[in-house]
Amino acid sequence: MNYNWEWSIYLAAEPGGTGIYIKYLVIGLGWTLATALAAWVIALAIGSVVGTLRTTPHKWVVRLGNAYVEIFRNVPLIVQMFLWFFVVPELLPKALGDWVKQMAPPWGSYLPAVMCLGLYTSVRIAEQVKSGIGSLSRGQGMAGTALGLTLGQNYRFVLLPQAFRIVLPPLTSEFMNVIKNSSVALTIGLLELTGRARAMQEFSFKVFEAFAAATVIYLLTNLVVVYGMRALEKKVRVPGLISASPTAGGH
Amino acid sequence: MISIKNISKWYGSFQVLTDCSTEVKKGEVVVVCGPSGSGKSTIIKCVNALEPFQKGEITVDGISVGDPKTDLPKLRSRIGMVFQNFELFPHLSVTENLTLAQIKVLGRTPEAARDKALKLLDRVGLMAHKDKFPGQLSGGQQQRVAIARALSIDPIAMLFDEPTSALDPEMINEVLDVMVQLAQEGMTMMVVTHEMGFAKRVAHRVIFMDAGKIIEDCTKDDFFGTQRSERAQLFLSKILHH
Amino acid sequence: MSGYDFDVIQRSWVYLFRDGMTFTLTLTALAMVGGIFFGTLLAMMRLSRFSILSYAAGGYVNLMRSLPLVLVIFWFFFLVPYIGAWAIGAKDPVKVGSFMSCLITFTMFEAAYYCEIMRAGIQSVARGQVWAGYALGLNYWLTMGKIVLPQAFRNMLPVLLTQTVILFQDTSLVYVISATDFLGAAAKVANRDYRLVEMYTFVAVVYFIISFGLSLLVKQLQSRIAIIR
Repeated sequence: MNYNWEWSIYLAAEPGGTGIYIKYLVIGLGWTLATALAAWVIALAIGSVVGTLRTTPHKWVVRLGNAYVEIFRNVPLIVQMFLWFFVVPELLPKALGDWVKQMAPPWGSYLPAVMCLGLYTSVRIAEQVKSGIGSLSRGQGMAGTALGLTLGQNYRFVLLPQAFRIVLPPLTSEFMNVIKNSSVALTIGLLELTGRARAMQEFSFKVFEAFAAATVIYLLTNLVVVYGMRALEKKVRVPGLISASPTAGGH
Repeated sequence: MISIKNISKWYGSFQVLTDCSTEVKKGEVVVVCGPSGSGKSTIIKCVNALEPFQKGEITVDGISVGDPKTDLPKLRSRIGMVFQNFELFPHLSVTENLTLAQIKVLGRTPEAARDKALKLLDRVGLMAHKDKFPGQLSGGQQQRVAIARALSIDPIAMLFDEPTSALDPEMINEVLDVMVQLAQEGMTMMVVTHEMGFAKRVAHRVIFMDAGKIIEDCTKDDFFGTQRSERAQLFLSKILHH
Repeated sequence: MSGYDFDVIQRSWVYLFRDGMTFTLTLTALAMVGGIFFGTLLAMMRLSRFSILSYAAGGYVNLMRSLPLVLVIFWFFFLVPYIGAWAIGAKDPVKVGSFMSCLITFTMFEAAYYCEIMRAGIQSVARGQVWAGYALGLNYWLTMGKIVLPQAFRNMLPVLLTQTVILFQDTSLVYVISATDFLGAAAKVANRDYRLVEMYTFVAVVYFIISFGLSLLVKQLQSRIAIIR
């Protein structure tokens, strides 16, 4: 390939005056993680509630939950990002809207990005939680009821503790999705990792060095998340309970 | 026609076949029986290389099955095989199940393949179902189609891997009748089955396997006579009482 | 900005749909076909008994699935001109239109996701079916093409289509390389007339109607297939 590689570019200073490029990118990773983690907290909270509500016997609650899921699932993430950034501040009461619009960077991008990713991801978590509860045998719920537990207690002490252990592996991949999806926030001006790689490419014209660095950083992050979650899975595993990762072999 | 010499096979460190040898001559019907897990299904799948084996040699009509230079598709197209679970292709009609290999492997024209297919369907008594899909047939009918499919490639020998054990009892006979007829016409057959009635009627030889070894390999009369091993006796008394 | 002006949609809808939506739908359709084709090949490689093939395919799939789509879009946007130059032996990077660049990107990216679906599909076909194919003398390609893949496609059709709805939504990310898809066209109008609220709300509604409609169709298809089986 007819391209002049220049790996020393990472040690050159970026024009914004914050230091060398590699530091610039690592700070980008910091923003990626800060966005993903905050969104993850929102997503877990709302997703667990919505997912649980969708398994209750109350018909209209289920419908409401379904509507919530369909709305956030059927609009592209970048469009939702624009809605949170451009549209929502206009719909808020004027004082509040102006305050949001005048927030100093990067917070003016960070807040909408977190809200957007949080709600977007909550739907996926709601789906996982719902199917996790659905995968428990009907007898579990009945056994709880037979013991005299209320519906709330039944969920709190019998169903959810099992369901969460089952959905832990899919939640791992959802967490990686939030990390990846946070890159869409660059379209509303948040300089997270991909945004900074793009900026580095524009400043330095070193296209492939910039994207190669971002690629490697994403891959390393993935590895850390996978190993971290695996450790967590091991810690909360109940002996004899269905393991979600089927072992290979057998004929 | 089929010669099996000192075959051994392992799944990882677990040995499923130990030093098995036997021979099936042209026109001979050999029944292989034994308890489940004895390796009888494995050995029959080794004959047309559906299962690899690590030691020994199998030759079919003089061609070595284990030789990496052997053209396996060509070799297999000369042997018919019938499976426990029928394994008809669910997305193809009954007739298409019978014409696929004729057209794609033997290079027959679609017309010739269709003629042959209909003849075979007629023979197994399923002409009326030629345009149905396998899922619309009963188990016994599916297995008869499967036999017709195996015959569609004009095999020099037929392998049957427990052809009746997935069938409801009332359907077993319709399948066995087809197999008996085939045997009486002089087809070379190797049949893994527990149907001792079938063995008594048409088998020339019976092989008894246990724990991956061939325990007995004798003529039908010897097997059903008095001179047989204790294990075979135990096995026979078990299945005859069920 | 005083009041809302939804006339902007009426003034621009021909442009939005004739230029923008056509781009989006063509890209979705072609990337689906290409993605399923390469995804199926990748799945066959992943399940191959030749470990080099299965490692290569596995590495590619895992790499694609670990990276944000936005980053992959940037990669291909800059990489494709160089690959083109290498392919035709030119000295300098060749010019590639934004549609072509997007098509290659989405085909290669979605192939990784379609691969995992097809892999599950191939594994859902009973082992005995493969045996039966081989036993009739069919070789690997005939057994795959005539017996395993048709069944795998049928079993996985709803999942493949669901992935395509995701692909349809994902194509809106071509905004980052300023391609004029439906969102890109709307963004241009929105910025020209300074009507962001109206435009982006309209875009969201259109995407919702199409995606939701498609997923309802998939659900219907799923229940129909369930009956046949």
